[in-house]
Amino acid sequence: MKILVGYKRVVDYNVRIQVKPDGTGVVTDGVKLSANPFDDIALEEALRLREKGVAEEVVVVGIGPADLTAHLRNGLAMGANRAIHVVAADAVQPLTAARVFLKLVEKEQPGLVILGKQAIDDDANQTGQMLAALWDRPQATFASKVDIAGGKATVTREVDAGLEVIEAELPAVITTDLRLNEPRFIKLPDIMKAKSKPIDTIEFGSLGVEAHDHLKTTHYAAPAKRSKGVMVKDAAELVAALKQKGLL
Amino acid sequence: MPESETICGTATLDAARGGWQAVGMIPEPSMSDPRLTELSGCLPGLRLLTASADLEHYGRDWTRRWTPAPLAVALPASTEEVLAIMRWANERRVAIVPSGGRTGLSGGAVAANGELVLSLERMNRVLGFDAVDRTLSVQPGVILQHVHEAAHGHGLVYPVDFAARGSCSIGGNIATNAGGIRVIRYGNTREWIAGLKVVTGHGELLELNRGLIKNSSGYDFRQLMVGSEGTLGIVVEATLRLTDPPPPSQVMLLALPDMDALMQVFALFRTRLPLQAFEFFTDHALRHVLAHGAQRAIAGDHPYYVVTEFDAADERQQEAALAAFEQALERGWVSDGVIAQSEAQAAALWRLREGITESLAPWRPYKNDVSVRISAVPAFLHEMQALLAREYPRAEVVWFGHIGDGNLHINVLRPDGLAEDAFIAQCEHVTALLAATLQRHGGSISAEHGIGLVKRAYLDSTRSAAEIALMRGVRKVFDPNGILNPGKLFADG
Ligand SMILES: Cc1cc2nc3c(=O)[nH]c(=O)nc-3n(C[C@H](O)[C@H](O)[C@H](O)COP(=O)(O)OP(=O)(O)OC[C@H]3O[C@@H](n4cnc5c(N)ncnc54)[C@H](O)[C@@H]3O)c2cc1C
Ligand SMILES: Cc1cc2nc3c(=O)[nH]c(=O)nc-3n(C[C@H](O)[C@H](O)[C@H](O)COP(=O)(O)OP(=O)(O)OC[C@H]3O[C@@H](n4cnc5c(N)ncnc54)[C@H](O)[C@@H]3O)c2cc1C
Repeated sequence: MKILVGYKRVVDYNVRIQVKPDGTGVVTDGVKLSANPFDDIALEEALRLREKGVAEEVVVVGIGPADLTAHLRNGLAMGANRAIHVVAADAVQPLTAARVFLKLVEKEQPGLVILGKQAIDDDANQTGQMLAALWDRPQATFASKVDIAGGKATVTREVDAGLEVIEAELPAVITTDLRLNEPRFIKLPDIMKAKSKPIDTIEFGSLGVEAHDHLKTTHYAAPAKRSKGVMVKDAAELVAALKQKGLL
Repeated sequence: MPESETICGTATLDAARGGWQAVGMIPEPSMSDPRLTELSGCLPGLRLLTASADLEHYGRDWTRRWTPAPLAVALPASTEEVLAIMRWANERRVAIVPSGGRTGLSGGAVAANGELVLSLERMNRVLGFDAVDRTLSVQPGVILQHVHEAAHGHGLVYPVDFAARGSCSIGGNIATNAGGIRVIRYGNTREWIAGLKVVTGHGELLELNRGLIKNSSGYDFRQLMVGSEGTLGIVVEATLRLTDPPPPSQVMLLALPDMDALMQVFALFRTRLPLQAFEFFTDHALRHVLAHGAQRAIAGDHPYYVVTEFDAADERQQEAALAAFEQALERGWVSDGVIAQSEAQAAALWRLREGITESLAPWRPYKNDVSVRISAVPAFLHEMQALLAREYPRAEVVWFGHIGDGNLHINVLRPDGLAEDAFIAQCEHVTALLAATLQRHGGSISAEHGIGLVKRAYLDSTRSAAEIALMRGVRKVFDPNGILNPGKLFADG
């Protein structure tokens, strides 16, 4: 079985995001960029499935500008067999990303696509679901445990009420939640080996996918600063203050 | 109350006057002690603690060798209160132990002799930032991590950093000239002190250097205060220099096959990469941090590990780092290595090094903190390893440290069945031998933790008799009555 893994590059989770002064986006210059944490988890899960003998090949997919290669090399160093780089100058929206994946699915015929439940840049939480719909295959989102046997995936999902276990016929789309696994460190000798692993480059324009931008971003702004708290002397004063604000 | 007015109101001291009370012969501490009544009489707003739990809490630092027994704990909220306490202390000859976050590892903040603990904990405000001078003014009780956050809020950094950041105070850092994990790039605390306000042991308020970059006007008392371990004055305010944030960096963990490789890898990496940190630890240390919950990053058994962080702003620098690793691998100096791909992974790698002290704490290890010049490290390491193996046949010896600065931490764990006293006696014996070894290599018995109570017996291995005599003389000038931290640094005052 072949597994396709989404591997997006985002501003590192631990970086404090700063909005550009002109409100056209967030500052990315000189800022640490890393793999979307959920995609790291997706790749880790795919590698574990390959190590268990469930899969033979793990392919990481990135959609982005020319300099995405270094990022994809990290995925290869972590253990993916090869990478596909869909070269797109601008960021793509979830539906476009799903359509790109569909094209790659048609070409690669994977038994499983593992994506992050969301990317931490726009937190859309849509691509996996849209891909499953376009592909007309089952989806198992927010996975915290995955077992593959007999052409079926048994997936534990993190849902509002707790955990839910579902079965999905393969091929299927799985999206990962935080507790699914702890991604491995990249071994330095593997970075050297990864240099000789193949990266297929596909121009976005050649895929025949229309980049519909259904969503328009008007501007970016930092969240309003929380106003300072007020100290009250005692319970009576607290009650009075709450009443004054119409909260009691 | 005319009596207390004299005591709190006199700026100069008449040493011959006043009821002298020998330090160390203090009766059961309680608020009923007349000296404390007097102190709170002239400083009615002063927070004074005497409950036994408070005395125990404030009477000790991270060393656990001495039983805390302070007279009381004073928590002044202002420089004026510190001044008044010092006047009272001089008048009544009460010993004062300046106290910060009490993360000290040398017993500097221990009060086991009826001293008054003067905790700077409540003087914990950031006073101001000057964008033109690029300085931050803080009270001494500000926690190091809060200094980092305040600097960050202004787009700058205060670069002194180490694992106790969440609880140590800037006053304690100054008093010990704290080093840490970025010394290789940024130096020790000393480099970052633009100005100090200090209340001397004699009770005078000094304003030292006032943030000046250039000030060629005689003796630099500001630098004298840095590293003086609370024996000359109490830091009541500090002006800290800030700097630009470093470029984006990468963190590697390297596994090394033997000790000789350590300095070879260091030399190679230092010439190839703009290093921010280069730290090492042994497999023993790794075992303890892993047992304490850290995440294993490299499989297999390796005797030595290095955590290193370096600027990697662009692909060229990242390539240079890989090339350096490749070369080290070819020469057999490293056997494996991983590189962090995210800040979270970087933190996980750092935890392997930074979590060591905490993971060892339950064993209450005996600690050495030694340094030699970088060029002397290889020869010293060989002698030291032979010495430790010979002298501690049964004890587990865990070492790690800031090897890029020539600084090693040696932690000895007491073997089962060996009594505490016998264990300490053995360790003191070995420390004397270690001190002699250090002396031959021109090193220091205390690299960054201070002499305190723990290492005063070995001070003469690092400082000459003439130097020590001058140090005592300096102390007399700033603290003629020997009020501040008696017994620290020198055994007899
Ligand atoms: C986990 C851990 C890791 C550590 N790592 C490092 C490290 O990498 N590098 C390093 O250098 N140290 C390290 N230390 C030691 C310790 O954190 C430092 O020595 C620190 O600077 C002590 O600060 P503190 O506020 O806790 O001081 P305290 O322990 O309270 O006091 C230390 C000394 O300073 C004096 N003092 C405190 N405040 C003042 C003041 N305002 N004016 C005058 N004197 C004062 C005290 O009397 C005492 O002599 C570590 C400790 C721990 C527990
Ligand atoms: C054209 C010119 C430009 C200058 N520009 C600068 C400048 O940009 N920045 C700057 O800081 N200064 C400057 N100076 C001043 C002067 O050059 C410096 O102060 C320099 O450091 C003095 O060195 P010196 O060997 O001439 O000392 P001297 O003039 O011989 O002595 C200066 C002091 O040092 C003492 N001293 C000398 N040698 C020793 C020793 N071995 N041990 C102990 N004490 C000693 C002397 O007793 C005296 O107190 C300048 C001077 C000139 C003429």
